[in-house]
Amino acid sequence: MRLHIKVFLWFWLGVLVVSGTLIGLTELTHSRAQDDRLWQEKYGPRVDLWARQETHILRTKGSVALEEYVGSFQADPGVLNYMFDANGHEVFDREAPQPVLATVNALAQSSGWTQRVDPVERIIAERAIDANGTPYVVVVDFPEPSVLTRPVFELLSADFSGRPTRASAVRLAAVVGVAGLFCFVLARHIAAPIDRLRSATKKIAREQLETRIDRDVLNRGDELADLGRDFNGMADRIETLVTAQRQLLADVSHALRSPLARLNVALGLARRHSVPGVVEHLDRIELETERLNTLIGQLLTMARVDSGVGLERWGVFDIAALVEEVATDAEYEARPRGCAVAVAGDRNCLVSGSADLVRGAVENVVRNAVRHTADGTSVEISLERRVAASGPAVVICVRDRGPGVPDKIVQRLFVPFYRGLQTDNNQNGTGLGLAITRRVFEVHGGTATAANADGGGFVVALELPLYVEGGTRQPQAATRPTTEEHGNAITAA
Amino acid sequence: MTGYPSDTSEMPATRHLLVVDDDTELCQLLSEYLLPEGYDVESVHTGTEGVERALSGEHALVVLDVMLPDVRGFEVLRQLRARTRMPVLMLTARGNEQDRILGLEMGADDYLAKPFNPRELCARIEAILRRSGVERGALDVRVPGDLIVDDVSINKASRIVRRRGETIELTTVEFDLLEALLRNAGSAIARDELVRTVLNRPFSPFDRSIDTHVSNLRRKLGPGPDGLDRIKSLRGVGYQYTLRQSSGALEK
Repeated sequence: MRLHIKVFLWFWLGVLVVSGTLIGLTELTHSRAQDDRLWQEKYGPRVDLWARQETHILRTKGSVALEEYVGSFQADPGVLNYMFDANGHEVFDREAPQPVLATVNALAQSSGWTQRVDPVERIIAERAIDANGTPYVVVVDFPEPSVLTRPVFELLSADFSGRPTRASAVRLAAVVGVAGLFCFVLARHIAAPIDRLRSATKKIAREQLETRIDRDVLNRGDELADLGRDFNGMADRIETLVTAQRQLLADVSHALRSPLARLNVALGLARRHSVPGVVEHLDRIELETERLNTLIGQLLTMARVDSGVGLERWGVFDIAALVEEVATDAEYEARPRGCAVAVAGDRNCLVSGSADLVRGAVENVVRNAVRHTADGTSVEISLERRVAASGPAVVICVRDRGPGVPDKIVQRLFVPFYRGLQTDNNQNGTGLGLAITRRVFEVHGGTATAANADGGGFVVALELPLYVEGGTRQPQAATRPTTEEHGNAITAA
Repeated sequence: MTGYPSDTSEMPATRHLLVVDDDTELCQLLSEYLLPEGYDVESVHTGTEGVERALSGEHALVVLDVMLPDVRGFEVLRQLRARTRMPVLMLTARGNEQDRILGLEMGADDYLAKPFNPRELCARIEAILRRSGVERGALDVRVPGDLIVDDVSINKASRIVRRRGETIELTTVEFDLLEALLRNAGSAIARDELVRTVLNRPFSPFDRSIDTHVSNLRRKLGPGPDGLDRIKSLRGVGYQYTLRQSSGALEK
């Protein structure tokens, strides 16, 4: 709609500017002399006629009737009509301005002429003799020519006075209005398909992949129709790719899980018939199967997050409540070692995104912290609202009281399958947990960073933009900030 | 052959299970594993067959895989739920939260992520059968009648839920959950207790199925007479059905 208004206003302005220029050019090309000549040709004969009529009226009906007659056509503003008798006396005793008197004198001196014209002052003096032979001089003083008397504007201003009248104002408004209406329709014609294209693009971004541009736009036969067709081609391609990707993920998931499911059941059967000494090997097989299982799950999650496919359940949720829930669950795991999970800070932090993915990502971090914190200590989780460069955000800090991590490998913890840290506590890790966490937060427009905390322990800071009413945040699958950008982004709490 | 075992208080010799999964080898292994546990497994490998066999009324429970070659497992579930309340255990892809939520929403009694530990499968089947056994036994053991809290009333015999006279469709689990919440209306029930009593299995952290059931129930019941949520989440504790006018559950 903004484009529509913009195009409309520009067109309208354009039409008005062109009209103005046309008038200006007419003004320039018509020389004053030419104009004066035209004026003289037009009004010279008329004044001759008026003069005769006026002397006739004065003789037959008297000065009162004449005054009425003169007054009627003096109604045109700016036009003044004088009448001098043989003594040079103005019939109505009016004071005539100097240029008028000069013209009258000039006429008196040139005995051969019946009319004297002053084109510069726009004065015409006419000698007239009534039926009784009494000589008079009738003078009509026209106003100075103005731009409004020019040919283009003759359309607009019917009177020769050149001043805008009510009628001319209506005509002007009509021209501006018609131009406006035309421009409005034209702007709509151009902007409407663009609006459609835009809303279709938005829908595609929101994973409504079946969206296409409809016939109305495609039948226009101009570049916008071509754009619409190109858009549809692109949408076809995206739909195919996304569907294929989705199918591939489902197939891979199915293909990898089926043998594992069979393996699990076979293992269960083997346990039934196991002899002493084999049990521990079966336990080992079960453990490794479970690891493989977790790994496949994480790989598929990673693929889903990276491709942005399967992030359909996008909504608004309270991350504070979610963190609280994860903490409650994690505490069950922490309790046997005398550990606790404490949550403090801001409540009611609404964010937009996939609650399931964020829950998994937060869970990774919190369970990691529970695994690494020393016996009898607590994992502290704090939530804090903050105004970041890109707007309001919430920062979740998860801090454990464990041994921490050597500084030089802190940033590499987020690299998938990084094998730098082989401790007893970490044997169960797949090397993907933190990588997934970072990707999930990045997809949500946030960040995940880690550092060793002052006073021991390790802290992971997770930042997410807060939900803003009316703002539409979409999964940002395309952005992939490098690890370096996050280097030491947080100072330890 | 009759459908449900008529009396579940005594362990019947064998119970018939229907497994709907396209993995024939897995079905074989399962049938071998479950036989000594007292289950006689019939397996079918397509959704269409699954619906057909499940509706025969010969099985105590259906184990239904989400991924089937012909139709999605959810479609099978939908068709079953339109006709029968028989217990259904869904096998979903691990890590796919949406499948889990969708399955429970559509009335699956429970779900298990595939690949699963067969011991866990046995335990879940056991829990569901015990629960549905109690449900049928309730006719004899408990006084059949209505439980009324404010504008909601449930009938345990007919398993009909009404809100201001209007019937609300609930799944088996949702009904049991609502009953537990109404019975304790006005006081909190811990999440782990709900898992034990309603889902009939030990609580395990990070398992959010009870929360999914609660949110489905909340959605189906709608807001209370005062426009607020009927079921309140108590952080770190559990859930509570909020009383509005009445002082507690009224039993008739």
